[in-house]
Amino acid sequence: MNLLGVLRTFAANVMHNSHIDDEMDEELRSHLENRTEDLERSGLSHAEAARRARMEFGGYQKFKEECREAASVHFFDTLLQDIRYGLRTLRKSPGFTAVAVLTLALGIGASTAVFSLVNAVLLKPLPFPHAEQIVFPWRLPRKGLNLGFDIYPWGRVDFLFFAQETKTFEDLGAFLSGTFDLTGSGDPVQLNGLRASAGFFPSLGVSPALGRTFTDEEDRPGNEHVVILSDALWRERFGGDQSILGRAIELNGAAYTVIGVMPPGFAFPRANEMPDSFTFAPQVQLWVPLALNRGPKILNESDELAVIGRLKPGVTISQAQADMDVMGKRLERDRKNGQGWFRSNVTPLARQVAGDTRQPLLLILAAVGVVVLIACSNVASLLLTRSLNRKREMTVRAALGARASRLIRQLLTESVVLAGMGGVLGILLAKLAIYFVKIFGPSSIPRLNEASLDIRVFLFALGVTLLTGILFGLAPALGAARQNLVESLKDGGRRSGSSRASQNARNSLLVSQIALALVLVIATGLLTRTFYRLLKVDPGFQTEHALTFQLTLPASKYPDQAHIVSVYRQVLHHLQGLPGVEAAGVTETVPMDGVTESTAIRFSDRPRANGPETPMANYTMVSPGYFAAAGTPILRGRGFLESDTANSMPVSVISEALARKYWPGQDPIGKRIAPRSLSFPEETIVGIAADVKRLSLRESPPPEMYVPYTQKIWPSLLEMNVVVRTVQDPASLTASLPAAVHSVDPDLPIANLRTLNSIVEDSMTVPRFAMLLLGAFGGLALVLAAVGMYGVISYNVTQRTQEIGIRMALGAQRGSVFQMVLGQGARLAAFGIAIGLAAAFAATRLMRSFLYGVDSGDPLTFAAVALLLALVALLACYIPARRAMRVDPMVALRYE
Amino acid sequence: MTTPQSQAQILPGTLDLLILKAVSLGPLHGYGVLLRIEQISRRALLIEQGALYPALFRLVHQGLLRANWGTSENNRRAKFYELTAAGRKRLREEADGWNRLVAAIASALGAQPEEV
Repeated sequence: MNLLGVLRTFAANVMHNSHIDDEMDEELRSHLENRTEDLERSGLSHAEAARRARMEFGGYQKFKEECREAASVHFFDTLLQDIRYGLRTLRKSPGFTAVAVLTLALGIGASTAVFSLVNAVLLKPLPFPHAEQIVFPWRLPRKGLNLGFDIYPWGRVDFLFFAQETKTFEDLGAFLSGTFDLTGSGDPVQLNGLRASAGFFPSLGVSPALGRTFTDEEDRPGNEHVVILSDALWRERFGGDQSILGRAIELNGAAYTVIGVMPPGFAFPRANEMPDSFTFAPQVQLWVPLALNRGPKILNESDELAVIGRLKPGVTISQAQADMDVMGKRLERDRKNGQGWFRSNVTPLARQVAGDTRQPLLLILAAVGVVVLIACSNVASLLLTRSLNRKREMTVRAALGARASRLIRQLLTESVVLAGMGGVLGILLAKLAIYFVKIFGPSSIPRLNEASLDIRVFLFALGVTLLTGILFGLAPALGAARQNLVESLKDGGRRSGSSRASQNARNSLLVSQIALALVLVIATGLLTRTFYRLLKVDPGFQTEHALTFQLTLPASKYPDQAHIVSVYRQVLHHLQGLPGVEAAGVTETVPMDGVTESTAIRFSDRPRANGPETPMANYTMVSPGYFAAAGTPILRGRGFLESDTANSMPVSVISEALARKYWPGQDPIGKRIAPRSLSFPEETIVGIAADVKRLSLRESPPPEMYVPYTQKIWPSLLEMNVVVRTVQDPASLTASLPAAVHSVDPDLPIANLRTLNSIVEDSMTVPRFAMLLLGAFGGLALVLAAVGMYGVISYNVTQRTQEIGIRMALGAQRGSVFQMVLGQGARLAAFGIAIGLAAAFAATRLMRSFLYGVDSGDPLTFAAVALLLALVALLACYIPARRAMRVDPMVALRYE
Repeated sequence: MTTPQSQAQILPGTLDLLILKAVSLGPLHGYGVLLRIEQISRRALLIEQGALYPALFRLVHQGLLRANWGTSENNRRAKFYELTAAGRKRLREEADGWNRLVAAIASALGAQPEEV
């Protein structure tokens, strides 16, 4: 049967069964009509003729069945035969089969597991209708200005202008996060909420499970006391009460009417789906209207709006971008302030949600590609070796009249059967790997929990399996079929496999395996060094024995600074009185928590600088005791004291980085400094604190300026973080801390109780995850390369048994034979390592953004990995070399 | 279907050969194959209608016949079969084999006592 016929039959049988049935029906009808006409011509009536024709023909269904069988049985019969034969021959060489199946299983399993992650995070459609129309027009910073973030929020007036003027957006919504104290329904609790404008839900296209979303009227100041609950909150706090709509609940001391409940699982936006420069909760629990004031711009207005939009049908991203650009230019022209701050970047939802995880995932996907390549070249080299051993079998079969295509088909069936076995095992391995990734994978990777062996992943695994089976079965199969029959027979069909061409093929497969493994292991090495560098980084605070939690004061109860300061002072006093507490303090922001308050500053002793030269610093209000609680050392001068009050001299503590930048080689103590935008009195610098890593362990610490909370009035004082340093294990205090707080005010909700350690660890999960995965693949690559090395050198020894025997008969020493075999392996390894080093040098440049404190061409890592690989290669050659040494010259010669 | 005495059931295995021969004389649709075999065997051989089509399918999938949809003499859409190169070769081989067999059997049957 020709290949085309096979394919056609296969396709017809598997996919177009109905098509083939239609054809048969039509052919039969035409036959019966012809017969009927003939019978009519012999004098029968039409009806009688038709009846006779059908009768003569016999059972119609039986006929169709026979046709189908005739078309297919032949093909599937031989296929089954080939598979049985393949399984038999595989069983005859269990060592080969085990190594090949295991290798394929590792390759297929690893690629399937990683693909399932990529599928979950990057490919699966998002659960919003027409999600491709949802975009985020983020604001870009002024050109040339580097404040640490790529993306910024919009102001109120900007958003209102866009919403009114846009030509490409069907809906445009603004949102910002907020916390809400729920009181009057059980224990007071702080909830993570979102203030969203009326366009927010239509932009997402999601309808509530119960009730409705906000109307335009509700999105106006004065009408905004309505709330939509998340499914989880509705079930936890309100028992899933169906009659919740219309009920009033108390949020931040005011009554809000419940108008809707979102469907289960809806918690948009989650923190890990949004840019770093915005702080959102991991899960949103309720939504209230944003109710923006529609009036003109107010002085010092600082709203931080994220914007979401739904494009009109048919509008492309670039059209939306052009629309934003035009509107930005108009704002630029009309405004006196904020020049250069109206550029935007329109980001599609899918890219937004995948965010930073895109890069590490693609890196890992590349790594897994390398592993699959190594695995495949390994199996190819095994098959090549084996097909040479089976040359006699093939020659005999060819001589008996088997056609070349038949032999190719036989060998291909075998390699696909092999790949199939590897695939089944690989899918099991992938399932295991996905299980572990879900347990140990970082929660900061969005949608990781959705990774599973769904149909798409399964098809991927199937595709990889078939592809590896065919691709790497094809070369040996064609090689076997193309051989010269006469030559082979003359040769006795034996061992002509040491022909230069196939030898070269196997050697180059081996060299490329070693090179690929080297690249992967070097990448792993660089990431590992990065990771340990990060672990050793001094963050500027002590992570051990420290706890932090958030405290939010209701504005109604604590209307002014005196009340606020007094309650914090009492709380701190109670906390410090707890046994095991060493120090306690409050701060606006906890380091490494992903929040900073960067602001422009001015100095009394120098002129104002503008543009990119504008001095910037993080501006943080803290209490006396904070530095001790956080473990941030005061390097010079003093920290804050209880005596720094609203009536005493305004003071500030600055960080070493700020001191170094603006007073290099001088003593800044006694100099004066202030935030620029406000009419605050200048503060006198009284101390210098150690630098603190604010956002990530990789950053060089930003300039910091601390002021005592007792001297400033600021709305954010209502939301502060308490830091407590303990003597023993901080976990022992988790129960007594809330009690101490509630002894001051039983209505104060405590949120986000965590150890400082866990905050730093959270920032490490993605690098750790990438390192572990790459490490696993690097190890896999090493093992596979070693197996390949062993296989090829072993085979070479077997091939050269006779030659070695002659050498020894002629007086060669065992040691020199050992050296010869080892030397051959060493040459191949050296070649592979040389190529690998060059490739790694190019490849690791692409992963610079993942590295910290290590150069992408780090000579130590390169040298160490090259040495490691050389050792592994020599070890893999050792056993065959020993075997060569023991060759008995007499046996070897008799072999011929 | 009743079988008149004048017609003989064909030998097992010879249906393919007859189909190949019939089609070798020109492209035919299924019913035409039936008529052609009757015609060239001078109405001596009878093809069971239901057995014809599975045989045609088998031959197509062995690459010996090629099938194309066309229009029949009475303007009906019909599937026409014609011989491929492989089919022509097979027909030659099988015909040779058949002729050798027939000659051998004829010679055996014609044997006289004195020849034994």
